[in-house]
Amino acid sequence: MARQAFPEWTNNLPPILLAAVAVVVLGGVGFFWYYGSPKYTDVGYRPVQPVDFSHKLHAGDLGLDCRYCHNFIEKSPVANVPPTQTCMNCHTLVLPQSEKLLPVRESWGTGNPIPWVNVHMLPQYAYFNHAVHLNSGIGCISCHGNVRQMDKVQQVQPLSMSWCLDCHRNPNPNLRPVSEITNMEYQAPENQEEFARQFREENDINPNDECSTCHR
Amino acid sequence: MSSLDNKHNHDGHAEVEGGEVARVELTAEELAEQASKLSGKTYWRSLNQLANTPEYREFLEREFPEGASEMKDGLTRRTFLSLMGASIAMAGLAGCRKPVEKILPYVTAPENIIPGVPKYYASTMPLGNSAYGILVESHEGRPTKIEGNKLHSSSQGASNSWIQASMLGLYDPDRSQSVTNGLARSDWESFVAGWRTRLEEHKKDGGAGLAVLSEAFTSPTMARLAAKLRKDFPNATWVAYEPVSDENIYAGIELATGEKLQPVYDYGKAEVILSLDSDFLSTESEQISAVRGYAAGRRLESEKDSMNRLYVAEGAYSLTGSVADHRMRVRTSEIPAFAAAVAAELQAQGVNIVGGAALSGFANHGFDKNWLRVVASDLINARGNCLVVAGYRQPAALHALVAAINQALGANGNSVNYRRLADAELSNRDGFAALVRRMDAGEIKSLVMLGGNPVYNAPADLNFSRALNKVEYSIHLSLHQDETTREAEWHVPMAHYLESWGDARAVDGTLSVIQPMIEPLFGGKSNCELAHFIMTGEDVRGYEIVRETWRNILRSGGFEVAWQRVLHDGVLNGSAEGPVAATINGSAVGGAIGSLPKAVQGLEVVFQVSPSVYDGRFANNGWLQETPSPITKLTWDNPALISFATAREHNLENGDLIQLELNGRSLELPVWVVPGQADNMLVLDLGYGRTHAGRVGNGVGFDTYRLRTSGAMFAAGGAGITKLNRTYLLASAQDHGSMEGRPLIREATLAEYREDPNFAPEMVEHPPLKSLWDEPDYSEGYQWGMAIDLTTCVGCGACSVACQSENNIPIVGKQQVSNGREMHWMRIDRYFAGNLDEPEVAHQPVTCQHCENAPCEQVCPVAATMHDREGLNLMVYNRCIGTRYCSNNCPYKVRRFNFFNYTKDMPEIIQMAMNPDVTVRFRGVMEKCTFCIQRISEAKINAKLSDRRVQDGEVTTACQQACPAGAITFGDLNDPNSKVRKVKEQNRNYAMLSELNVQPRLTYLARIRNPHPELMRIRPESADHATHG
Repeated sequence: MARQAFPEWTNNLPPILLAAVAVVVLGGVGFFWYYGSPKYTDVGYRPVQPVDFSHKLHAGDLGLDCRYCHNFIEKSPVANVPPTQTCMNCHTLVLPQSEKLLPVRESWGTGNPIPWVNVHMLPQYAYFNHAVHLNSGIGCISCHGNVRQMDKVQQVQPLSMSWCLDCHRNPNPNLRPVSEITNMEYQAPENQEEFARQFREENDINPNDECSTCHR
Repeated sequence: MSSLDNKHNHDGHAEVEGGEVARVELTAEELAEQASKLSGKTYWRSLNQLANTPEYREFLEREFPEGASEMKDGLTRRTFLSLMGASIAMAGLAGCRKPVEKILPYVTAPENIIPGVPKYYASTMPLGNSAYGILVESHEGRPTKIEGNKLHSSSQGASNSWIQASMLGLYDPDRSQSVTNGLARSDWESFVAGWRTRLEEHKKDGGAGLAVLSEAFTSPTMARLAAKLRKDFPNATWVAYEPVSDENIYAGIELATGEKLQPVYDYGKAEVILSLDSDFLSTESEQISAVRGYAAGRRLESEKDSMNRLYVAEGAYSLTGSVADHRMRVRTSEIPAFAAAVAAELQAQGVNIVGGAALSGFANHGFDKNWLRVVASDLINARGNCLVVAGYRQPAALHALVAAINQALGANGNSVNYRRLADAELSNRDGFAALVRRMDAGEIKSLVMLGGNPVYNAPADLNFSRALNKVEYSIHLSLHQDETTREAEWHVPMAHYLESWGDARAVDGTLSVIQPMIEPLFGGKSNCELAHFIMTGEDVRGYEIVRETWRNILRSGGFEVAWQRVLHDGVLNGSAEGPVAATINGSAVGGAIGSLPKAVQGLEVVFQVSPSVYDGRFANNGWLQETPSPITKLTWDNPALISFATAREHNLENGDLIQLELNGRSLELPVWVVPGQADNMLVLDLGYGRTHAGRVGNGVGFDTYRLRTSGAMFAAGGAGITKLNRTYLLASAQDHGSMEGRPLIREATLAEYREDPNFAPEMVEHPPLKSLWDEPDYSEGYQWGMAIDLTTCVGCGACSVACQSENNIPIVGKQQVSNGREMHWMRIDRYFAGNLDEPEVAHQPVTCQHCENAPCEQVCPVAATMHDREGLNLMVYNRCIGTRYCSNNCPYKVRRFNFFNYTKDMPEIIQMAMNPDVTVRFRGVMEKCTFCIQRISEAKINAKLSDRRVQDGEVTTACQQACPAGAITFGDLNDPNSKVRKVKEQNRNYAMLSELNVQPRLTYLARIRNPHPELMRIRPESADHATHG
C-alpha cells in the first residue's frame, strides 16, 4: 500500500482553517464595528485649545451658568462661542497679567478672533438646532456630558445618527423642566416616565425620526 | 446622441464640423407638411419633436442621452475611474486623521446679531431709470438671498431673475480688484493725487475739457451731484448713455405733451390691453409691477369671474406675445403703420383722437381689417379701463400717438398716469453722439466714465474706441476690467450695489435708499463716491454723501429718527408723487403721425435686450447665462432668430451658421427657428460676444452690437444673409424631459370654461385608481402642498433663478446643458400649439410634484428618497449612491443628477453666496425640489419656540416669493382656511398625469384664455381632449 501523501494531522486542517477564517472575518468585522464607530473614533475627542480654558473652573467651581457665555443657545440653531469681549468682561480685572490669558488679550488688542477648535462636529448635511432642543427640555448634559467637571472639554457621546435616533424615538429618559436645562446636578424624579408623559403633553413634544428632521 | 460629440475650438465656441446638432432631419417642406397634418391643437415642444426624428425619439427614450455618462474633454469614465482609483487609495492614507474645524467667534459682538439667525435688510437695486426695492437675507453679515420689498411700489415683494442673480454678481471673482493705470496695477492714492492736479486745471476754465459719461439713473444723490457739476463747471458736460432704455418713450411723451414725463402704468386697472411691440411682462422696464397688475386682472376664482384681454402686435416672439389672447405678427418696423391703422380704426368707430386728422392717410393698409376692427371695438367697450402700450424699440412719434390714443380712450388718469420726472438723468443718444464727436475732435481733455461699457455697446458707427483714444485722460469706473477698461487710462473698481450707499426714486416717485450689506469685497468705489471726488477732489465716503442729500429730503422732524425709519423700511413712506395732468397737444401729435417712420425694406434686423444677460452687463453671471430664454429655451447663446418661412426660403435649419451683412458690417452667427416670429426678419439679442466680461461671459455668443448703428438702433433693413456650410452647437433645454401627447397643460377659453367649469379635472378618463401599496394616512399634522395657476403664470422664469439662489444649485455650462444635464430644480416647460407660422405658446413651471405615491421612492435600492409624514418627498443625499433609478422612474422628469462635482472648483468667494441652510451636493447624488424644506423647518421651529402652530403664509417657498404674478401658492392642506387649500378647491384644479395615481401634492389651475368671440379660431374638439397613453 502506498504511503499516504499527507500526514494524518492534515485531516483536521479543513475545520481548523474554517475556524481560523471565521475568527479572522468575525474579528475583522468586530474590529471595524467597534473601532470604526463614532463610539470609539469620536468619543473622547479632546483637542488642544488655543487658550487653556477650564470649564471646570468657570462653570464648576465659580458656578457660572452656561448661558453667561453661550448666551444665544435658546434662540439660535448654533450654540455661540462667546466673543473675546465676554472673556474681557472679567479678565480686565481678574488676572489681567496671566500668562495663560495672553492669547485672549492678544485677540482683544489685535481684533483677531481666537481660533477655538470645534469639539462637537456634525456632518454638514445634518442640521441640528440647539434652540428647539433646549426649549423642549433637553439639558446640555444629555449631549455634552458634565462639562462642569471637565478641565478640557471632550466629546462624551458618539453624536452618531443612531444615537440621535435613540432619543428621538424615546426622549422620555432625557426630558427635564426647561428651567433645569443647564443644571448639571439635576436629579431625575423617580416617576420620570410619568413626568415625561405629562411634560410632553403640555409642551407638545413629539420628536420624529423623519429624514427631513435633520437633513435638508 | 452621437451628434452631440463635438469639439471645443480654441475660443470656447463648440463647433460641429459637418455634423448636425439637435436639428431637424426632415426637409423644411416635409416639416411644414407634418405641421399641416396636425388636426387642431396639438402641443409640440420643438421642431425636432414635430419632425419626430430618430434622434429625437432616442433623446426622449433615454432619460440620460447616450454619452451623458462620458466625461467631457475626451477623458472617458473608465480612464477617469482608474485614475481616481489611484488617487483615492493614496488619499485614503492621509484621510484617517480627523479634520480639525475651527470656530472663529466675534471679538466684539455686534449688537442685534444672533449667530445662526439670519437678518433681513432693506435696500434697492437700481437698473437704468428703474429701481426695485429689495430685502436682503444676511447671515452674520454675509448676504445670501434677495427678496422683493413689499413696501416698494416697483417690486411689491416680488422680484425678477436679474434681481435674484445679482447676488451671484456680488461674489463674482472676476470683478476688478484694484485701481489700474494703463492696465498696470496702481492704487487709489496715486489716482487721487493725479486727479487733484488735473482738477485744478479744469477749475480754471469752468471744466471746458471735462466730460462725465454716466449710465442713466434716477437718484436724488446722483442728480444732486450732476447738478453740482453743471453749476461748478458750467462748461463741462454730463451725459448719460444706455444702449437700451426708455429714451424713445420719454421723447414721445415730450412730443405729445411738451414735457418729459414718466408714464406709470397700472395694468391691474386695464380690462383690455393692446401691446404694440411691448414685452412689458419681461424685458421692458418695470416688468414686476406689470406682471403683478396683469395677473391681478386675470386671476379667476370661479367661472363667474371676468378677466382682462391682451392683444399683442409684434415681430419677435416675446414672452408677452406668448401669453396674449390674440397675437398679430407684424414686423417691428411695420408697427408704427400698424399703430396708425389701429388709431384710424378707432377714429372710424367714433373715438376722437387729438391731432387725428393726420391719420386719414393710414386708413388704407394691408393689415387684417377684421382684427383691427375687433381690437378697436374692444378697446372702446372698455373705455377708461383699457391701455395701449408700445415698446422701447418703437420710435418717439409712435409713443406720441400712443399717448394720444390713451387720452382719447380715457385711460389717462386710470390705467396710465404721468408723473413729473425728478432726480432723473435719462439716456441721451444724441448727447452721447455729440460727446463722441467732440472726443474725436480732441476737445475733451478728461473723460470720466461712471459705469457703463461704451466701447462694447456704443453704436458701431460712432467708433467710440477711436474717440476714446484721443482723450488725454480717461477714467473708467466699472465692476469688471471690461472692454472699455482696456482702452481707458485709469480704471477704478466699482462697488456692487450691495456694497455701496446710494439712493433711488421709483417710477411712481417713491424714494428709497441703497444700503450696503457688506464692505466692498474688492475695495471698490460707488458711482456717487467717484462723482463726488471728481468734482471736489475730496475723498468722502458714500454714507456721508447720501446723508447730505437726505438731510434735504427729511427736513420735517428729527433727521436721525426719520433716516433710521427709511433704512428700516427701505422706502420713504408717502414719497410717491401724484400724477400730473398731461395735456396732449393736437398739432404735435398730428406732426408725429406725419413723421411715423415707414417700414424698412428688405430683410429686417431687430435688436432686443436679452432676457438673460440684459444689455450685456450680466454676461459674467452664470445663473443668468444658464437660464433658458423663455421662448427659444436656449442657454449660453444668442443666435439670430428667424421665422419658419424665412428659414425655409433661405434653406436654413437650427444651428446653421450664416454670414449676416448689414450696411457694410458683417457678423457670422448661427440661426434658430422661432415659429411665430414675423417673416423676413432676424431678431438679435444684445449682450453676448463679450471679450472681457470675465471667465463665465467671455466668448459666449455673438457680439451683435457690431451691427448696430446710431441710425438704426432697433430695426434696420436691407440685411443680407449667406449660408455658410457649417453648423454650430446651440444648447437648448427644450427637448429634455418631454412628456408626449398627454394633456399636461390643460386650457380652455373663458367661454368654454363657463360652459363646462369642470373641464380640467375631467380631461383625462381613466379606470378607477387603486394603489398597489398601502396608502399612508395624511389626515394629521401639517400636510404641505402647492398650487400653480397657469392662467396668471407668464413664464418669466424668476422662480427658477430664485430657486437656484435659495438652494445652492450649480451651473453646468453649455456643453453639459446640451447633454441634458442642467440642474435647475424648477424648469419652465414651453409648449407650442397650432401651426408653424402662428403658433400659440403655453408655459408651465414644473418642479418635483411631491407625489404621495411617489414612483421614485419605490425603486430606490438604498431608501435615499423617502416620504415623510407631512407629505414631502425627501432626498437624503448622504444615502444616495447614484443609481439614477429614481430619475428613470419619475414621470415628470424633475430629478437632477450631479454628474460631476460641480462645486469642487468653486472659488471661495462664490461659496459665500451659498445658503448655509441647504446642503451643497457632491458628485454622484441625485437632487430635486424639496419644497424649500429649510424654510419649512425654520417656520416649524419658530412656531415651536413660541408655542403655536405654523400660520398660513408663514412658509413661502423661494419660487413663490419671487413670483411677480402670485401664481404660486403654498401651505398646509390640512388647514381648511389656508390659501393653498382654497386655491385647490377651485374647479380648475388638476393634477398633472393624475391617471398614474401618483397623487402629486403640486397641482395646477388650468389655463384660461380670453379670446374675443369674433376672432376665435375654429378648433376641432378632439385634439383638446387628448387621451393618455
